[in-house]
Amino acid sequence: MRRNFLIKSVAVGAAVALALTGCSNDREGGSGDSGSGSGDAKGFAKDALIGVALPSKTSENWVLAGDLFTNGLKTAGFQSDVQYAGASTTVADQQAQITAMVTKGAKVIVIGATDAAQLTTQVDAAHAAGAKVIAYDRLIKNTANVDYYIAFDNFKVGQLQGQALLDGMKAKKPTGPWTIELFSGSPDDNNAGVFFDGAMDVLKPAIDKGDVIVGSGQKDVKQTAIQGWKAEGAQSRMDSLLNSTYTSGKTLDGVLSPNDTLARAIITSVKAAGKPIPVVTGQDSEVESVKSIMAGEQYSTINKDTRNLVSETIKMVQSLQTGAAPQTNNDTYNNGAKVVPAYLLNPVIVTKANAAEAYANDPKLSALTK
Amino acid sequence: MSRIKELQKNLFGGTTSNARQFGMIFTLVAIILFFQFKTGGLTLQSGNLIALTQQYAYISVLSIGMLMVIVAGHIDLSVGSVAAFVGIVVAKTVTEHNLPWPLGVVLGLVVGALIGAWQGFWVAYVGIPAFIVTLAGMLLFRGGNQYIGNADTVPVPKGFTEIGAGYLPEVGPDTGYNNLTLLLGLLACVAVVWRELRARQVRTQMQGAEPAPMWIAVLRMVVMIAVIVFVTLRFAGGRVGTSFPISGIILAVLVLVYSFYTRNTAGGRHIYAVGGNARAAELSGVKLRRVNFFVMMNMSVLAALAGMIFVARSAASGPQDGLSWELDAIAAVFIGGAAVSGGLGTVGGSIVGGLVMAVLNNGLQLTGTGSDMVQIIKGLFLLGAVALDVYNKKQGRFSIIGSLTRSNRSRHEAADSASTESNVVKQPAARS
Amino acid sequence: MSTAPPLLEMRSITKTFPGVKALSDVQLTVRDGEIHAICGENGAGKSTLMKVLSGVYPYGSYDGSIIYRGNEAKFSDIRASEQAGIVIIHQELALVPGMSITENIFLGNEPRRFGRIDWKAANSKALELMSMVGLKEDPDTLIKDIGVGKQQLVEIAKAFAKDVQLLILDEPTAALNENDSQHLLDLLRGFRKRGITSIMISHKLNEIEAIADSITILRDGKTIETIDVKGEGADEDRIVRGMVGRDLGSRFPDHEPNIGEVFFEVRNWTVRHPISADRLVCKNSSFTVRRGEIVGFAGLMGAGRTELAMSLFGRSYGVYESGQIFKDGKEIQLKTVSDAIANGLAYVSEDRKAVGLNLLDDIKTSVVAAKLSKITHNGVLDEAAEYREAEAYRKSLRIKTPTVDEGVTKLSGGNQQKVVLAKWMFTDPDLLILDEPTRGIDVGAKYEIYGIIQELASEGRGVVVISSELPELIGLCDRIYTVFEGAITGEIMRRDADPETLMKQMTSTKKLATS
Repeated sequence: MRRNFLIKSVAVGAAVALALTGCSNDREGGSGDSGSGSGDAKGFAKDALIGVALPSKTSENWVLAGDLFTNGLKTAGFQSDVQYAGASTTVADQQAQITAMVTKGAKVIVIGATDAAQLTTQVDAAHAAGAKVIAYDRLIKNTANVDYYIAFDNFKVGQLQGQALLDGMKAKKPTGPWTIELFSGSPDDNNAGVFFDGAMDVLKPAIDKGDVIVGSGQKDVKQTAIQGWKAEGAQSRMDSLLNSTYTSGKTLDGVLSPNDTLARAIITSVKAAGKPIPVVTGQDSEVESVKSIMAGEQYSTINKDTRNLVSETIKMVQSLQTGAAPQTNNDTYNNGAKVVPAYLLNPVIVTKANAAEAYANDPKLSALTK
Repeated sequence: MSRIKELQKNLFGGTTSNARQFGMIFTLVAIILFFQFKTGGLTLQSGNLIALTQQYAYISVLSIGMLMVIVAGHIDLSVGSVAAFVGIVVAKTVTEHNLPWPLGVVLGLVVGALIGAWQGFWVAYVGIPAFIVTLAGMLLFRGGNQYIGNADTVPVPKGFTEIGAGYLPEVGPDTGYNNLTLLLGLLACVAVVWRELRARQVRTQMQGAEPAPMWIAVLRMVVMIAVIVFVTLRFAGGRVGTSFPISGIILAVLVLVYSFYTRNTAGGRHIYAVGGNARAAELSGVKLRRVNFFVMMNMSVLAALAGMIFVARSAASGPQDGLSWELDAIAAVFIGGAAVSGGLGTVGGSIVGGLVMAVLNNGLQLTGTGSDMVQIIKGLFLLGAVALDVYNKKQGRFSIIGSLTRSNRSRHEAADSASTESNVVKQPAARS
Repeated sequence: MSTAPPLLEMRSITKTFPGVKALSDVQLTVRDGEIHAICGENGAGKSTLMKVLSGVYPYGSYDGSIIYRGNEAKFSDIRASEQAGIVIIHQELALVPGMSITENIFLGNEPRRFGRIDWKAANSKALELMSMVGLKEDPDTLIKDIGVGKQQLVEIAKAFAKDVQLLILDEPTAALNENDSQHLLDLLRGFRKRGITSIMISHKLNEIEAIADSITILRDGKTIETIDVKGEGADEDRIVRGMVGRDLGSRFPDHEPNIGEVFFEVRNWTVRHPISADRLVCKNSSFTVRRGEIVGFAGLMGAGRTELAMSLFGRSYGVYESGQIFKDGKEIQLKTVSDAIANGLAYVSEDRKAVGLNLLDDIKTSVVAAKLSKITHNGVLDEAAEYREAEAYRKSLRIKTPTVDEGVTKLSGGNQQKVVLAKWMFTDPDLLILDEPTRGIDVGAKYEIYGIIQELASEGRGVVVISSELPELIGLCDRIYTVFEGAITGEIMRRDADPETLMKQMTSTKKLATS
């Protein structure tokens, strides 16, 4: 009797659970979808959800990009979900955010990777769910499921930095040899190596010839890297370089810095040591650095207009929406699993001389150049 | 009234600090329902449940070990760094030195055990507080990770990724569901019924102890089975190729093993004894050093496992692995009802605590909340959950649930009031 | 004397907690300048009454009225009562161990000059207060470096710093040895001469008899009676009857000892202090225990009784130097607590809350804690067996609790002590060492504990009882060793034992002839 009641109740419970689950089985037709590759000309709805996953808010550029994406996608008629990774749990956060976007049914996911090699699982899952993945600014590695890559031409950035360094030093001190120090970005950022290689493409012939001397002898990318693009890292490395190499009257003519944050940290260090400020390169056109350039401290920066990059990305999303293949201009980027079709934008070098012209259509920066 | 009490007691098998766990289950259900409504049904979708399991499996693995460390009266701040260190060691040997990946997993566990032995030695045999030892370990192994990995991201082979990103394979006839997951669900249902019957049997063997009333047993089984059936169908009915994740299976096995260990074995009880009153435990013949050594070592082994699961899921070991994992694990343990002073807490509670945080995080992400707000909300939630508990103890109630089911016949009340920090006013007692 | 107006009158005080009526219509009248003792069993409402008086339970949270110096007092908190000159010294001392005597005396009450603490003034005032209470120490000495007795004096000095008029002492001698207790009682007498009124809560009837002018007895939250000692004289039986509500007949149960042969022997046991290696805490101690025998260890606090017991119990205290332990004629090695338990030893500590019990545990968990192996199969606990065992002890020891699932913190001191006894009886020991087994336990429960001890002995086990209460040792033990400064100074059979003889041997190294 009792046992009977028990069994009945269990059966009822099971039935209730089945009813709850209902017929919402995701399997129906699921398998057919997963193969939908890049040849699919169907496109998707005009107001579809577009996910944008960006790294943590550590530089102005990412904050600006996020705002531009939110507004631009809205103007283009899409729904947007723009997310930044948390400050301390970056990789895990970004993984979870991408997965959430997939769950929400995003049709295109634009990813500015925190760690370019740790997102394969999520990118694969996005692809399996039928979403297109655009690697934004940083190429995602080791997966065949990245559909497009869009970025500024980072090798070109490096070349421009190298050239600016040489030009700047020549302008200050017409004859060599010039003493320099090299800095590179975070080793877990795919781009850091590319910048460095680009710069060395220009600097190496001069170093080999003896026109340019690396004072500390630290020329390897491992020695020059600043973990996490951290300003304090650059500052402390510069402090120790000054203490070890430039104490006995030796002058430092130039420093290759991969971006503005590090450039300013390097200048801070030099100033603190009471030395004359050398020629320091940069990148990103950060407000403080533009001010610094106008004040004659930092020598150069690079204008990679985030507006252009974001608007080109949105254009790409729009062509995907209609089902057309987006425009690409480069097929040399191999991420370890395949060659990812890429669209590269050209960077512009900015010094005090051309700043007004370069920032003419940037309301915030152009005000600084007057 | 006492029916609810009975229910809560039996849900967790009558262990300490149930009250907070019971409250947490309610909170969990409430949060799930809230987000299910807010996200238009996305929260309980197959894909999301699967992702949730994968995202939090490694944190939950950590929180099992952390629970035991905290119950014994210690803390481990090094778990994130240990996980990252083991991750890079394994990734390097598997990828660059071509060690077969199963051996890589074994290597990882061995490295974890060695690290654990190192930390356990300092804590148990030299007597340095675990906070200091593991703070040192945090720096030591984070540095070790960067030294070995050169801050590079090292990918791991396909086979290895299964433990973090793999699923139960598709076998058998096409039922429209993943057959192995269905089988797993069936096993879980059988286990629930068996456990229930067995518990009644044990209870009747105790003279003077009344088994829970029949209606409770039945209700509990119905609820549990309904939940299991629902969850099973969700996991089994996801996109083809996905099903119950391997990392979820690893976690489930660990939860079962460690729940059993902490609750039903002498070794487990010794951990609670040491945390509750180390001197009393020592004078009762508990080998204090051995227990302390074991919990610290065990923690590092689990941290190693968690690190490998994460590396597998990310398909690569990176320099940012393990950052602030210790905080997630510790938060899960405290939300799950453990006492800062040690001696209280359960594995089940910590898993529920972790799940609450996970669902909260996931739900906020699904609703498009930025990570800044997510962190703020999670921080407030952690504080609120523990503060509410402390407040209730001060009021002489031991939880919201406790106040609904007033009955002064529970050991848990006593246990909870004893766990309250010393600066909390004790329940006014009618003693002179 | 009795015509003088009372200093304090508490009228019809009733205080209820949810579910419990802690005080019901309690009356207390304290005359100016007297020492007024309040007695009662644990749970009788003594501390609650004092908390009402001192404002811990503020005006409005109780019924009834407090008339202090002729006016109704409405204290909102402790500060308010202290301002009126009422200072309470709790059983658990409220001193900061890492601070000096001066700092503690003026904690929260620092003498200031221009906003800065005036340490010069503080130190000289402290010295003055210390001499009032007879404390000879450097005022810069840290609290943790002085003994409990002196700490108590610091507490009293602290009370004087607040200009005390009515001093309330809650079990002031509970943790003190005979000497310190005597000193404290003398101090109270001195205060009386200077017109300071004291209320003393105590269990120790001999002290009450010695010092009190009036005695109020509480039982179950009610006033039983107030005895005017001068007029009526204090009669111990009357007090006990009032406290427990019945005649106890004897304070010790009847017991016919059945003593067998020597089965446990310690020879030349010598142990060093754990920190200062040149100090011996046990000096060449030898003793024997027979089956079925209750052996007492008498000594002043700090004499080394506990140290001896704990060093025997798996070397839980100090550094082993030399000595042998024999059981049933064979030498045994007890290097760890588990060894000791395995060899049939059990040690019930003097401080059951700090080291005897895990206060987070419930009764059943506590009972089985010292011998889990008895209820495990292949390392897995048998919960049903655990419950059954605990239930059996609940019945046989009459532990007052509805179920053994109850937390140990919910039990009274006497019942907690029974749980600790059950825990060690569960290990089935041959030799039980009970360190102060009745400390902080009320009269009724003591009687029961004595019964349990005698029962254990008559089962053929050896029982060692360490106690500071000489009447207890004399009433309970078959044979008593005296301990002084780490050495055993005497051995006295029950028939020869009287407090004077014991006290002499407890305070001198000279061995008296034993008969």
